[in-house]
Amino acid sequence: MIDLQIILPALIFLPALLGFLGCVFPEIIFPLGILSLLGFATASLSVLGGDFTYAFTLVGEGGIQFSVDSYSFPLIFGSSVTLLIVFGLFANRFSHYFYQICLVLLTALFISFTTVDLVSLFISLELLGFCAFLLIADRNDKKSLFNSFQYLIGGGLAMLIFLIGVVQAFTFTGSFLLEDLVRAPNTALCLIIAGLLTKSGVFLCGLWVPNIYSHANCQSSAILSGCVTCAGIAPIARMSQILTPISDSMIVIGVISGVVAAIYAVFERESGRALGWSSVSQLGIAILSPTYGCIYAMQHGICKALLFSTLHDEDKISADLSVSHQSKSSLRESPHELMRVTVFVFSSLSIMGFPFLAGFVTKNWVKYDLPFEAKLIYTTASLLTSTVYARLIFDRINVFVKRRSRIQSNSFNLIVTVEEILLSPKNYILILSTLLLVASSFTYPSFFTIESIQTAVVSAILGGILFVSVVGIQADDFVKPVTRTLDLVGAPFLVAALLLANLLYFKI
Amino acid sequence: MELTLEKIRLMPIILLMIIGCFGLLNSKSILRSLLSLDVIDTATISIFVITAASVGYQTPIVSIERYSSYSDPYPQAIILTAIVIGFATQALLCAIALRLGRKSPMLRYRDLEK
Repeated sequence: MIDLQIILPALIFLPALLGFLGCVFPEIIFPLGILSLLGFATASLSVLGGDFTYAFTLVGEGGIQFSVDSYSFPLIFGSSVTLLIVFGLFANRFSHYFYQICLVLLTALFISFTTVDLVSLFISLELLGFCAFLLIADRNDKKSLFNSFQYLIGGGLAMLIFLIGVVQAFTFTGSFLLEDLVRAPNTALCLIIAGLLTKSGVFLCGLWVPNIYSHANCQSSAILSGCVTCAGIAPIARMSQILTPISDSMIVIGVISGVVAAIYAVFERESGRALGWSSVSQLGIAILSPTYGCIYAMQHGICKALLFSTLHDEDKISADLSVSHQSKSSLRESPHELMRVTVFVFSSLSIMGFPFLAGFVTKNWVKYDLPFEAKLIYTTASLLTSTVYARLIFDRINVFVKRRSRIQSNSFNLIVTVEEILLSPKNYILILSTLLLVASSFTYPSFFTIESIQTAVVSAILGGILFVSVVGIQADDFVKPVTRTLDLVGAPFLVAALLLANLLYFKI
Repeated sequence: MELTLEKIRLMPIILLMIIGCFGLLNSKSILRSLLSLDVIDTATISIFVITAASVGYQTPIVSIERYSSYSDPYPQAIILTAIVIGFATQALLCAIALRLGRKSPMLRYRDLEK
């Protein structure tokens, strides 16, 4: 009999150990890191649907309590797969200590997914903040340094707000456990939630998201959107499961975030920034339902990682990286590019909730879990999301077609194309992830009713029509990028105050 | 809401926190917001310490003679981590400020946010 009490903490801390060892032996540890990621992904996938739950305390009585349960498995799977995708696609472009930082980040994520102790949560979120800071600053120019400064100062302040909430809860309950928050006063709950919302990047607290995603390296953006913002989702889901006032307020915040951020995304011209706003909107939807929120965040994270990986064509990335490869890259054949565009379209469709893709299943889960009043606005948000992604797909295909006509490639030959696609190992990763997206939708065939498929298809088509109708609107004055530090730093205070007002007086 | 002794004890810290938040929201340059963050950090740590000392103020160490009213060791032990993390954040922010200062030595937000 394997002692889970020892195995599970060892597994949680394994990536950090590999990361630190990787600083000393970079070549040896990298395959080991990929192997461990594969192990985490398969292990969490095998227990994903079941109700395996294991709670343990780390060092005897009064120690740190962990609970490995249905909230943590989807997110563990999602972040492992995201890191695998990034490692596979960008391995030759990593700067110094990139993958080591990612592995340390993974441990911080695991702790925040599994812990039920507020102080451990604080520590893991701070570690996560430091790792995310290093990833943002990876591009190493003035703007990304300033972005990372804003992230760190905003995140640090949010965590201090969180800590004040924790100490106030402690004076009333005498413990730091999440489940004891039932006896905590409303002020403490608001402060804790405001800190968590800032870390997970939901609207108003998450104003930092679009700035950073649009400017960071695409591998950093993929990791930030796929893993880092999921960290706050699991604790929020745990809290809304046991606290009714919090789950009611989360519906209000999630609906506002889902709609407003999607409107911003619709009127945004730059693709990276639009993806950032859409991320804010999707995470707002993820906090709506405590039961399925984690699995929704997982699907969104994987799709966003794929989207950010394939957002720009390879020429642009190489040109950003160094000028010397320019002559070589312009000769690159377009089959690879075709593959990237296909994956981009598939993952966009998945986030839109198109039938026979993973997003369809998760969207329906969240939809059936919502109260009736929220469903209307949820549908509006998903319509707006369809509009955003219709535009993104249109832009991406447009760029691809222009590039094709510039290269003036020979006539299309299917066999040559397939052969060339199969030559590169990166394409295997892309093909595999697309197949996974399609296959995962068939695990729950009960959702494939005529009505739901019809709704999803109509929503996608309406999104396309809406895109055509708003494409001409000059909205540059309306969506100015929020870059002032004051706005980013002050948002948690505002959200905490609004939440408190809601809990005490409005009682929505 | 009555005014107990514990609440009166917390007053100066709340004042400190308000000063810190005011400084952070009104700062014109990076260095000032860095210092304001440190003030808020100090205020948070003091809240923990004062909360721990509400039941007693003697050292919570078991020796031959037991104290009658010792302070709660749990929050005090936990705040050590927060102190270290706050220090690490400050160090990282200082490093960033140093790098940013090469291009714009005044470190004003007005120049950097362009």
